[in-house]
Amino acid sequence: MNVQEYIESGIIESYVMGLASEPEKAEFERLCTQYPELVAARRKFEERLEGYASQNAIPPPPEVKVKVLEAIGKSSNIITMQNEQEPARDAKEPARSSLLLRFVAAASVLLLIGMGYLYFQTKQENKDLTDTNDRLKVSLDTTRNVLQRIADEQKDVVSNPNVTVVNMVGTQVAPRSSANIYWDSTSSNVYLVVKNMPKLPSNQQYQLWALIDNKPKDLGVFDATDDKVILKMKNTQKAQAFAITIEQKGGSPSPTLQKMQSLGKTLQSQ
Amino acid sequence: MGGPTTYTEQELVLALKERNNQAFGFLYDNYAGALYSIIKQIITDNSELANDVLQEVFINIWRKIETYDQTKGRLFTWMLNIARNASIDTLRSKSYQNSQKNQELPDNVYKGVANQTILQNVDNIGLKKVLEKLRPEHRVLVELAYFKGFTHEEIAEMMSIPLGTVKTRIRNALLQLREFLK
Repeated sequence: MNVQEYIESGIIESYVMGLASEPEKAEFERLCTQYPELVAARRKFEERLEGYASQNAIPPPPEVKVKVLEAIGKSSNIITMQNEQEPARDAKEPARSSLLLRFVAAASVLLLIGMGYLYFQTKQENKDLTDTNDRLKVSLDTTRNVLQRIADEQKDVVSNPNVTVVNMVGTQVAPRSSANIYWDSTSSNVYLVVKNMPKLPSNQQYQLWALIDNKPKDLGVFDATDDKVILKMKNTQKAQAFAITIEQKGGSPSPTLQKMQSLGKTLQSQ
Repeated sequence: MGGPTTYTEQELVLALKERNNQAFGFLYDNYAGALYSIIKQIITDNSELANDVLQEVFINIWRKIETYDQTKGRLFTWMLNIARNASIDTLRSKSYQNSQKNQELPDNVYKGVANQTILQNVDNIGLKKVLEKLRPEHRVLVELAYFKGFTHEEIAEMMSIPLGTVKTRIRNALLQLREFLK
């Protein structure tokens, strides 16, 4: 390509004055990287234009400068303060860059250590969570099994044709007390379901008795807190009636009959 | 922060990119007049508006100094184009157009601008003074392209001249301009 011809085409003036089209600009900038004489010619025109513009300058009103400095002052304050904190900024440029380099290196190492720590911590946390999860799963399985056993037991109790249901009703002392006894006469198993028994002081417990030939037989103690749950009591082959009394915690060898809460007669009593 | 009271262009650019306030003061003191001149050559009839544009131009120079690329031209060239573009944008803004509405309404906007351009060559300053030395058919085209910001295509349409001719004439006019700038 003939550079001289290109220079004389007016492209330089067109480019510098902002009148070149986008493709013309791109081409010119590309050619500038290849032809130093093109850059030199551009510089020459730029200097000429600048010189002419300076000769023909019109002093603007002073208040414009005040406004401009005010406007940029707001944005530059912070930056200026940051600059001042940097030591020996224009005096020792290489020292500054090596300092910067060392800072960057140190920061990188710290970052790496930090990330490594974070990685192991995350891994440990993950392991802990997995362990907890496993423990919970075991616990859940156990609970399920227990529930299943209870459900089976209940089904067994309720649906077994040999089981007699004895409805315990309240006495004059405790008219509202009620409970059900499920008594399997063949296996002698006795189950108790509390329906409504008042809460007792912590030093007292309910005690179930079987009355056999008018003699009480201890069938175990229970708390009223186990509401609507089937409680397995002590076995008995015989019982004309069941009775519930309030006794000292742990039970008594013989019932305190004046505190009898509930009484239910069985078929054997008839 | 201390620093030199005069700068080479290289030093000035570096200092500006480092947000040196003193360098910016130097820049303003040395170039505001030249840029104000170009702004007033474009916004010819409203000094208040020209002042606002000058203010906007220097704030933009401060903000955009990072984007200045020395390989593409001198700092002044870059600033001159910012000033020219800001002036033309103002000229074309709705508010400016509205302020001109009470003036004569030409039947054809383009023709109106062209006529106005020819008529305005009375008290020319700066580059416009040089334009007077050009042949009228060249002068009008440079006026429209450089001082009014019309594209070559727009000028071709409004003057009913082929696009190629517009381009050639403007290039020739700029080459002559270069000689007059000596």
